Amino acid sequence: MSQVIACYKWVADEADIRINADLSIDLSKAKGKISDYDKNAIEAAIQAAAVLGGKAVGVTFGTSDAKPSLKDALSRGLDEVCYIKAQEASQADGAATARALAAAIKKLENVSLIICAEGASDTYSRQTAPRIGAFLDLPVVTSVSKMELTGNTLTAVRKLDDCLQTVKVDLPAVVAVLPEINPAPIPGLKAVLAAGKKPVHELKAADLGVDLSPLSTISEIKGYIMDRKNIIFNEGDLAEQVKALVAALRKEGVL
Amino acid sequence: MFCKVAGIFVYSDQADIAREIIGFARLNGRQSVVLTLGEKDAQALQNAGADKIIAIKGESEMIENYAQAIAVMLKDESAELFAVGATPRGRDLAARVAGYLDCAMVSDIAAAGFEGDQIVCTRMMYGGAVQQTEKLSGLSVITIPPGKFATAQGEASILSLELPADNRVSLMETAPIVKEGVDLSKAEKVVCVGMALDKAEDLQIARDLADVMGAELGCTRSIAEERHWLPVESYIGISGAVIKPKLYLSMGVSGQIQHVYGIRDAGLIVAIDTNEKAPIFKAADYGIVGDLYQVVPMLTEALKK
Ligand SMILES: Cc1cc2nc3c(=O)[nH]c(=O)nc-3n(C[C@H](O)[C@H](O)[C@H](O)COP(=O)(O)OP(=O)(O)OC[C@H]3O[C@@H](n4cnc5c(N)ncnc54)[C@H](O)[C@@H]3O)c2cc1C
Ligand SMILES: Nc1ncnc2c1ncn2[C@@H]1O[C@H](COP(=O)(O)O)[C@@H](O)[C@H]1O
Repeated sequence: MSQVIACYKWVADEADIRINADLSIDLSKAKGKISDYDKNAIEAAIQAAAVLGGKAVGVTFGTSDAKPSLKDALSRGLDEVCYIKAQEASQADGAATARALAAAIKKLENVSLIICAEGASDTYSRQTAPRIGAFLDLPVVTSVSKMELTGNTLTAVRKLDDCLQTVKVDLPAVVAVLPEINPAPIPGLKAVLAAGKKPVHELKAADLGVDLSPLSTISEIKGYIMDRKNIIFNEGDLAEQVKALVAALRKEGVL
Repeated sequence: MFCKVAGIFVYSDQADIAREIIGFARLNGRQSVVLTLGEKDAQALQNAGADKIIAIKGESEMIENYAQAIAVMLKDESAELFAVGATPRGRDLAARVAGYLDCAMVSDIAAAGFEGDQIVCTRMMYGGAVQQTEKLSGLSVITIPPGKFATAQGEASILSLELPADNRVSLMETAPIVKEGVDLSKAEKVVCVGMALDKAEDLQIARDLADVMGAELGCTRSIAEERHWLPVESYIGISGAVIKPKLYLSMGVSGQIQHVYGIRDAGLIVAIDTNEKAPIFKAADYGIVGDLYQVVPMLTEALKK
């Protein structure tokens, strides 16, 4: 049976990042989540697997912190998840990430399509899909806003900044989908309950036989602080608030 | 060898960015070899100060399909860096080349320079909440957004080069995207709408305000990409327009970090939102907590006076 792969990443929620006075960052309060657009990649894989009559399989490369992602991803309708559980994931750059994912995907049989999202919400590097394609020497189609499968052929619409391209490729192939490819549904209770019974395959770094050390060295990480006036007009009724706003803007000389 | 010394190889599907990357090479005392697809693009860059331009000839109209051949060339030429314009096509090519070379890559640099033979790059993480500096050694790949470096001048020689293409992905059709919106990056004032609007007709409320203010209309990604209510070039943020108006006023925009990234350099930020806890208020100079359907018409009236 053919397998359609959805690569998804468990990331720290950027909305929970605290920035200390010295601009160092504090991730200790940050909850994990499936990277926003990876939910669309998962949905795209499920739809493609249905057309191809195959299985939709999630692949994720993460530390032990990524465990809660398994049930979440499965409840979205994936049939199985392959979890590359490795401490190296916390230090991984684009090169190491693609090496890990490509090596794990290589172990799976009859892979017809590998789907990544446009970019992960932490790195937003937009490099993983083309890199996986290069590693496995498969054709790659990025910036996909629409895709259609007929037999073994994928027709995709790519949204570039100056044009829409319609391209064709025979499977197997790697695609990176834009979030507008589908609305990723929120899983219902039944799907959440069923998720617990679905298979998870765990792989360790040593099982992959590839080097997972990063090629770039991080020399500094610092937070960005927005320094603004933060004045909220809350005196009196709305009309008075609007009046106060207009007065302030006139005083600032921006009207 | 196309270069006497290890140089920077450059590609961008946008000539303006290619010019800026050549400027970056010059600034760092490096030779630059520019790759183009075909002679026409090569001629357009002939006076941009590069040392050499290589016009690629081959069987595909898609530059991405030459990734493997370019990777081989970079290695053979002992290139120091492959610097590519950060556009969808450019990022794809850059990452494929990095994949074939299995080398380091930094996407969408905010700043880049050399320390000895190491390349030092700064980039945004977590939608702009975090700035990360990375050091790369050996042949590496970076993508460079527009507006980062000054352009250079000078004539370059053009060399035509046949490269093998990977034709597994074939181009069936190209439909140009006609830009309907305005260039928000040049606007003095911007009114921005978010997902709070119930229906497309309600955009009129924002348009009326924009009219009395003399502002352009912008939006969040979801309004443009999911609802298609405004053209794609109207959305502001890390994946859309980065703007620096004197005044930005939002209504029903929650102010997630990816959006706020696009308005950091605005002179004044004003927010209207029903949720007092919406992150936009932390990013704003002035705000009103309230229903935009009430507040905005009142504001429009007040400004008419
Ligand atoms: C990798 C990545 C890149 C992204 N890039 C971008 C980008 O470039 N640009 C971008 O915009 N987004 C981007 N996003 C999406 C971003 O994270 C947010 O999801 C998006 O900006 C939210 O849009 P919004 O504020 O319109 O909608 P919402 O977050 O849904 O906010 C709606 C707001 O309206 C308020 N509201 C509701 N009713 C009313 C009312 N009657 N009156 C007043 N207020 C009301 C609510 O309180 C809320 O604050 C990106 C996301 C990711 C993961
Ligand atoms: N650690 C990971 N595990 C699984 N998939 C990943 C991982 N990192 C990146 N991806 C996939 O590649 C996409 C692009 O990531 P990036 O290139 O980092 O922006 C993500 O949206 C995922 O689909």
